[in-house]
Amino acid sequence: MKDELLKKLSACVEFGKTNKAALYPPQMKGEDGADEITSQLLDVGVGAQEILTEGLMPGMEKVGIKFRENKIFVPQVLMSAKAMGMSMVHLKPFFTSGAAKQKGTFIIGTVQGDLHDIGKNLVAMMVEGSGYKVIDLGTDCLAEKYIAAIKENPGAAVGLSALLTTTMVNMEQITKDIKAVFPETLVTIGGAPVNDDFCLKIGADNYSADPQGVVDFLNTKIA
Amino acid sequence: MSNKKSMTSRERVLAAINHQTPDRIPVDLGATPSSGISAIAYSNLVNHIGNTELPVQIYDVVQQLAQPDRTILDRFSVDVLDIGRTFNEKPTDWEPTILANGAPAFYPKWFKPVKREDGSYVTFDDDGETMLSRMPVGATFFDQTYFPYVDGYPDSYENLDAEMGRIMWARDAHSPWDHAGEDRFWEQLRERTLRLRETTDKALLVVCGCNLFEWGTFLRRMDNFLMDLLCDPANVERLLDELLKRHLATLEKVCNAVGDLVDIIRFGDDLGMTSGPFMDADTYRLLFKPRHKILCDYVKEHSQMHTFIHSCGSISSLMPDLIEAGIEIFNPIQTNAWQMEPEFLKKEFGKDCTFWGGGIETAGVLNVETPEKVREQVLERLETFSNGGGFVFNTVHNILPDVPPQNIVAMFDAIQEFNNR
Repeated sequence: MKDELLKKLSACVEFGKTNKAALYPPQMKGEDGADEITSQLLDVGVGAQEILTEGLMPGMEKVGIKFRENKIFVPQVLMSAKAMGMSMVHLKPFFTSGAAKQKGTFIIGTVQGDLHDIGKNLVAMMVEGSGYKVIDLGTDCLAEKYIAAIKENPGAAVGLSALLTTTMVNMEQITKDIKAVFPETLVTIGGAPVNDDFCLKIGADNYSADPQGVVDFLNTKIA
Repeated sequence: MSNKKSMTSRERVLAAINHQTPDRIPVDLGATPSSGISAIAYSNLVNHIGNTELPVQIYDVVQQLAQPDRTILDRFSVDVLDIGRTFNEKPTDWEPTILANGAPAFYPKWFKPVKREDGSYVTFDDDGETMLSRMPVGATFFDQTYFPYVDGYPDSYENLDAEMGRIMWARDAHSPWDHAGEDRFWEQLRERTLRLRETTDKALLVVCGCNLFEWGTFLRRMDNFLMDLLCDPANVERLLDELLKRHLATLEKVCNAVGDLVDIIRFGDDLGMTSGPFMDADTYRLLFKPRHKILCDYVKEHSQMHTFIHSCGSISSLMPDLIEAGIEIFNPIQTNAWQMEPEFLKKEFGKDCTFWGGGIETAGVLNVETPEKVREQVLERLETFSNGGGFVFNTVHNILPDVPPQNIVAMFDAIQEFNNR
């Protein structure tokens, strides 16, 4: 029963099935979605921790890999994230109370001067679905905003996002400012104009070309 | 190529589109809002080459793009003009402003962004309260902040025109569309285009977005509309049909006014991002292809214009369908995106379409490398793309503020060098 439900939950995340009423995906029409299945799992006594690690995370990992390989595209990832969000609504109280633990905290924001957030949001969703607490600072973020968030969340890793060549330069100063206050804080960067060379140049700890790369980095470094 | 019979600019561009080898490489700079130059980069360029007397006129205020002066276009042997430039011709049509780098420039006199205490600029709706767009400090263009259908699709589309008018891309549109509401606009457009045609041998282009996917994202916001493609296709189609009605009404007027004078009509619809397309080919085929075909068919039946689409990103997986729908020209050819390598594109699609762009990486080479590296990439790209026509030189999207003027000059010099081989 439990294993069956966890498997189903994983499929809901993988294919973006939010709840029973959802018409998407067509092949799961009329079936329970992430919302109902999470309730059922809690009802039969499965803990939030197990639901996260055995239900949501395997589903989200498949999404990350398929997205990296261009087998699915942003609309599918967003639907998966939405399904995961439906499940997380049930689980969040357990994480807030400390009854269940996430793997770590990830602070993410688009850097100063840049209002683009689709890529940043995809990373945030995928990281959350991989078992981390995510603090999303939004767009156009100054260094102070990241630093204040790190102060409140000791040990958190930070993600900087930029879409433009003209704003990616702000990553350098922000990384320096963060490292000046918190030398141990891991900084990962991403966005269309960014690459490994740039990451090295500005003293960030990681560059990922896709969301799953960020998950892999966090799993290696802070999980 | 130097032994070929000399062509006019217009002949050169049309030869390329018709897949004949032109006498030299046709070149665009600034004929579209995705093949242009930012006001800051343009200001640096005119200072660098000693044309400091030329005003920096920001004709596209959203993206902060300059309208390159004819002197500059002639200097760099540019072959195509946007007919929008026939509007706002008088100095009194412009008001002074200051660019983020401190250089003087001009806005069309109707554009009145509000500067906030933190240094950012914002625009508001007529009510003075609803913020429509914002350019934060450090940014070099405006981003949309108002999404009318963010909470869901309306029952009736009675208010669609009004809501579209609140979207910055329409409200703060570049010329000629900033004059579209005026009396006799369409007669004016024809008269001015006729005059332009009589005074230039360059090819003429009209920018007429007819965006479908993008209007969905402007109205619903990107994340919602992307999900709608999968989970609410009925509402997506309903919206697209409303948009199509409006686009066809505009196309009718454009074709009547200038369809016999203009060579190229430029549509826009960003269907890709760097790492892949926004949607799979099945989704494109179902929702967008039939409507793109209706737009292209209309243009072909009612004008002499060639169809051009601007789409950023990785779109090679959608290109066969776009070509079937009737698109002849693609821009900006984002060669650093997934499956958009120049050799692959030329081999796969070179016979079936024209590449308008891809001439150099604006991000990664033009903005950071030496003039010699710029030269090398331009020569390499020309070698790959130009064989047998089907290519108009342009950078990969607009030249952004971080591009040094020396590199822009080196880029055009390299085209010259290739032509003289």
